Amino acid sequence: MMKGRWLLQAVLCWLVAGTSAGAWASASHTALLAAFCASDSNKSVALERIVDAGVSDTARDQAWARQIVDAIRNSALVCDTGGGATIKGAQPLDADTLKAVASPAASDSPYVPSIVMMRKLAVASAELDLFSAQRDTRVAAATQIDKFFGLLDPEIVSQAIKHERDPDVASLLTLAMAKRGLGSSDRVERLAAIKAVAEVPSETARTTLANFVAQDSARSDPQVLAAAQGAIKHIDTALSFGHAFSILFSGLSYAGVLLLTALGLSIVFGLMGVINLAHGEFIMIGAYSTYLVERFVQAHMPAYFDAYIFVAIPVAFLISAVCGMLLEFFVIRFLYRRPLETLLATWAVSIALIKLVQVLFGSQNVEFVTPGFLNGGMQVSPGFFVTYNRVFAIVLALLIFLATFAVVRLTKLGLLMRATTQLRDMARCLGVAAERVDRLAFGLGAGLAGLAGVVLTQIASVNPSMGTGFVVDSFMVVVLGGAGSLLGTVVSSLALGEINQFIEPFYGAVAAKVAVLLLIVLIIQKRPQGLFALKTRV
Amino acid sequence: MTTLFDTARRRNWALSAFLSKWMEIGIVPVLILIALYLPFAYFAIPEASVLHMSLFGINLIGQIMCFALLALALDLVWGYAGMLSLGHGIFFGIGGYLMAIYLLNGAYAETRVLPDFIQYMGTGGFPAVWKIFSRLDVTVAITIVFTALVAGAFGFVTFRSRINGVYLSIITQALTYALMLLLFINDVGLGGNNGMTGFTSIAGHRIADVSTQIGLAVGSCLLLVIAYVGARYLVRSSLGRALVAVRDDEARMRFLGYRTYTLKLIAWCLSAVIAALAGMLYVPQVGIVNPTIVSPQLSVEIAVWVAIGGRGTLIGAIAGAILVNGLKFWLTSQLPEVWPFVLAGVTLVIVVAFGNGVWGSLKAAGEEANR
Repeated sequence: MMKGRWLLQAVLCWLVAGTSAGAWASASHTALLAAFCASDSNKSVALERIVDAGVSDTARDQAWARQIVDAIRNSALVCDTGGGATIKGAQPLDADTLKAVASPAASDSPYVPSIVMMRKLAVASAELDLFSAQRDTRVAAATQIDKFFGLLDPEIVSQAIKHERDPDVASLLTLAMAKRGLGSSDRVERLAAIKAVAEVPSETARTTLANFVAQDSARSDPQVLAAAQGAIKHIDTALSFGHAFSILFSGLSYAGVLLLTALGLSIVFGLMGVINLAHGEFIMIGAYSTYLVERFVQAHMPAYFDAYIFVAIPVAFLISAVCGMLLEFFVIRFLYRRPLETLLATWAVSIALIKLVQVLFGSQNVEFVTPGFLNGGMQVSPGFFVTYNRVFAIVLALLIFLATFAVVRLTKLGLLMRATTQLRDMARCLGVAAERVDRLAFGLGAGLAGLAGVVLTQIASVNPSMGTGFVVDSFMVVVLGGAGSLLGTVVSSLALGEINQFIEPFYGAVAAKVAVLLLIVLIIQKRPQGLFALKTRV
Repeated sequence: MTTLFDTARRRNWALSAFLSKWMEIGIVPVLILIALYLPFAYFAIPEASVLHMSLFGINLIGQIMCFALLALALDLVWGYAGMLSLGHGIFFGIGGYLMAIYLLNGAYAETRVLPDFIQYMGTGGFPAVWKIFSRLDVTVAITIVFTALVAGAFGFVTFRSRINGVYLSIITQALTYALMLLLFINDVGLGGNNGMTGFTSIAGHRIADVSTQIGLAVGSCLLLVIAYVGARYLVRSSLGRALVAVRDDEARMRFLGYRTYTLKLIAWCLSAVIAALAGMLYVPQVGIVNPTIVSPQLSVEIAVWVAIGGRGTLIGAIAGAILVNGLKFWLTSQLPEVWPFVLAGVTLVIVVAFGNGVWGSLKAAGEEANR
């Protein structure tokens, strides 16, 4: 199947190239130059011929056309009276054969392009670039052509569109062609252009059509007007789908971070009935560990800089986990029967940690250099741009969740944790060292929050109080999902993440928070222990 | 649990016995004396004397008394009904904002100049609804009713579905956070980020006058006395005993036929009203109200004062608020960087080692000694 398409494309290319080359094959370089140099010639038509030769298949023609176009642009082409031409420079070249010759006679002055001609030349040069192997060059060329769409050569550009593999460049060129077509006075051409625009929906395409509809020339022709309005509607539908997808996507990445934060909270809450107000500070510790790793790698192993994020994952996990276990050892274990006091004690720890980091690192945002492979993104569909850092966040959250799930379901520690969660006293009677399980689980929860911090370095700003805003949302996740339930945590963090991102663009962040809160208060009217309450026997 | 105190308990500690026995009543004359002393210290005692108090000092005492009221309110629900609210800042804020609206009414009537934030929003004149708050007595009445309604509505939906313990704390904290975000928005029309300020007079007295400021501080002291006496009466009544029983075993109380959520609702609404009154006294003394008074931070801090002083003792809450805030004002002027560490350290030590707080531990030791 793939092979067949390849073949078809190759044949098509050959056919297109063949016809255009066939039309001008007879015109040798000499004739093209003579046509350009003739005193009564239409320079822009002659230039188009030269470009036509330049987009043919032979490498020699391509190089020649590029050199000539550049020479004309630089006012270096000197036509002599005999019909020949020379390219001025340190080593003058014969324009026909590109071989070294003597300097042209002083009486022959070079051709100096007018401003209009300069634009035409810029477009010609860009048209030659369209067939470059470098994507960046093609993008720049397409942008240039789009800017001066009135001057483009439709045959060459449509040939380029057929060649083009990159959808961005192709749609840019299609749009440029269509803009030119819209300006035409011929109804058929206009209708074709409208149809072409509708096929490459984007914000710019919509603006183009909206501007077009506002013009008198478009308004006077009802058929064209109707077509244009139909096309706008079509684009709007496509774009709104794109917007919906991008909201869904950013909600997903937010939900990912929420999941990582809430997982630890939920495990600890389910296991010990303890709410840790310092949980947000473990996120912050994870983020600052990432920062230290980034600095270290930059200073000592700049060659592997991009990999710092992968180094940071275990480092942040370990540092946060150790901090969590210390907190458990020095504070929490004294407060097991008094969960409300634990709230206050952990709050005290959190303000101390925030202040400590403020003293050590300053209270302003820390600057991160994003690894190269997380920069940028990809246009998936019109209006839907996927950034790699968010993809990274989602994938990482998913992997970490699966790992946590495996730990809780498959390892011995997980077994002991589940036993202690369900019925602490009986587990202890059966020889489970509940205190050790608590400590390890607390460390695991803190480590997971640290990983959330690693993810957040790529999609949010990092400062000492970054955790406080997040932790309220993660509490809501735990309340909604039910303490200790992994499935509940996943479902409710997805739900809250998406609801947040869907309400925010329309009614603002506050409305989103309030709506989520009201929803939760309503839901726990019916299910006080959360949506997925575990059956425990305490 | 209070292992560090075991040794002290064995000794006959006369001081703590005295304190626990007499201070519960003795705090009333002490607070009244402070209230009487304030105007005397400013007007009658010459400035050179150490006993003289500056207006700044008096103002500070007034503010601290408001915080003590707030702590008392929280102790009613936390210490006696077992509900740790991390959202009492909401009620404090309701009182504060409604008071600010009353004060702006007065300022507008006097100067006919619209407050900055209303001018900035360009919505035209002074909001018509605000004109209801043109009299102090009406404002106080509305505040009490409104706060009780808000608290009642929230309490009804949460207590009826038996949300308690940590869940309640989390939800109240989230509500506080949401309200703060809401107040930060300019379009809500309550001054947004900058809040409301520019007050001129309260009930016919110039706010800037020394006598008004002293009057407010004295008023705060006296309201604290009234609230304390009322709360003490309440917790010793049958309602108070029922509340304590609910705190200790709600299920059993329910089985005994008590409608526990009604009991909790009464305590909750009462506590909310006290918090709102504290807010009403606080705002004219600081001269401004902005969203930070409903920050989750302040609401947790209230609980910390109560925990440090000792919950379930009323007097401990008042003592905790006065101690912590006194220390805070002193330390933040001397060593601002150190304050969070001190607060965190004190909280940790008290919570972990002295579960009953300063007052609770003293009282426990005293009861031991009396035996």
